[in-house]
Amino acid sequence: MKINLDEIFDYTSFQVDRDPHIKLDETVCQKCDQRACTTCCPAACYTWDDENQKMTFVHDGCLECGTCYVVCQKDAFTRWRYPRGGYGVAFRMT
Amino acid sequence: MKNRFDAIVVGAGPAGSSAALTMARAGLDVALLERGTFPGEKNMFGGVLHRLTALEDVFPEFWDQAPWERHIVKKNLTFMTQGSSFSVSFDNEAADRPPYNGYTIFRPKFDNWLALQAVKAGATLLTRSTVDNVILEGGKIAGVRLLRDDAELRAPVVIAADGVLSFTAAKAGLRQGKFKPDNQGVCIKALIDMPKAVIDDRFGLVREQGASNEIVGNTAGVRGGTFLYTNYDSLSLGMVLELGSMIKSDKTPYDLLNNLIEQPQVAKLLRGGKLLEYSAHLVPKGGYDMLPQLVGDGIMVAGDAAALCIVTGLNLEGINLASQSGVLAGKAAIAAHQRRDFSKASLSSYQRMLEDSYVLKDLKMYRRTPQMLHNDRIYSQYPDLVCSVMDEIYRIDGQPKETMTKLLLRKVKEKVGLKNVLADVYSGWRAL
Repeated sequence: MKINLDEIFDYTSFQVDRDPHIKLDETVCQKCDQRACTTCCPAACYTWDDENQKMTFVHDGCLECGTCYVVCQKDAFTRWRYPRGGYGVAFRMT
Repeated sequence: MKNRFDAIVVGAGPAGSSAALTMARAGLDVALLERGTFPGEKNMFGGVLHRLTALEDVFPEFWDQAPWERHIVKKNLTFMTQGSSFSVSFDNEAADRPPYNGYTIFRPKFDNWLALQAVKAGATLLTRSTVDNVILEGGKIAGVRLLRDDAELRAPVVIAADGVLSFTAAKAGLRQGKFKPDNQGVCIKALIDMPKAVIDDRFGLVREQGASNEIVGNTAGVRGGTFLYTNYDSLSLGMVLELGSMIKSDKTPYDLLNNLIEQPQVAKLLRGGKLLEYSAHLVPKGGYDMLPQLVGDGIMVAGDAAALCIVTGLNLEGINLASQSGVLAGKAAIAAHQRRDFSKASLSSYQRMLEDSYVLKDLKMYRRTPQMLHNDRIYSQYPDLVCSVMDEIYRIDGQPKETMTKLLLRKVKEKVGLKNVLADVYSGWRAL
């Protein structure tokens, strides 16, 4: 048994909103020397492409835990709120 | 949609539902707002609910009514390295009969049940309702605006029970500045499917008895700990990892959890288990010194939103504090209605009741604990020391034995340093 985040949609349920609840100014991330979001996010929503110097954020598998909101030291978020009512992660048991 | 109430509670978790229940039972017209499709859908925690003394007046036989998995009779503390582990186990017959001291629960079931009790008492539950902002009128909070059709709900008093990031408290001006990563832990959890009979055999349990295990060590030097709890026919395995320490590490939370799953002693306990669900949430672990302002004009803050959480390493308390604070905020709102005064001064009875209760007394007592737990030696050197001493005590290898004193001194010097141990024993004693 292993946690494989490529399969997260097989074990955790989501009702994905097309309008993301978190938005990022990626130019701010280019100037960041820490990018702690890429290692701290428990759902691996943030990936840094070193070759193209580009941050990619995908909100689909976001667990709404709040980690990125706390670890971002550059205030890169242009929006950070919880999804609209009824959208986002839906825990069944946990 | 009706939009005027006597009180609005933001968040139908343990704090919010306890507040709504208290107020509804006293006859107030309460709106209980929940952003999920049902209460508990968005909520996760490690898995052990401590005894909820705050609700025992309302539910004297709580254990016959609330949905729980197992009641905890066995508490284990384990020091772990990559290949070995040393455990202390406390199995207590007194914990095997009601009132039980703690239970494993599932939040989507438990929180939903608690919110339903508030509804039965007369509260209006509004699901799919994310709060976008507070309504300020004449310098006081007069209601909330929803992230849905620009809907506004109005009440003379709002209770912010919207969880650890509490944007409601922040927008009301009760919390300023950024959160410190050192004060927050990310809790990640794997729910693992396992037949009841297998759990009973592996953990030495019968009937609905449950076991909890807190594990220190084997986190690649990251400040944090691991928990393993037994549900009725599943296990909750997870970690709480301090974000300040995670920022400095190149490890991800799921790498650390996967590493733990492969640790030989853990692997034996999990063998045959299947992953059912993966979840994560922040834990406000900074203690008394990270508390926001608890009261403003027309607003009170309860539960995780107020950072009411105690993390000592031995006990992880949150829901019991949340529920107690919700009940007290509810009582303060009832008193404010009787006075028809919702000013900060009037609602300050909430703060006073919290200070007189175990909630703020315990938070004050454990005020130094978060600082003590910032000591990196706890998470790697001490587990290594304990396991390595045990290894030498039990090892028969044809070499003459050292006296226990000599062995301990040599190991302490080799693994941690004598000065460090003395300093840590002193600060540990002061903090706990």
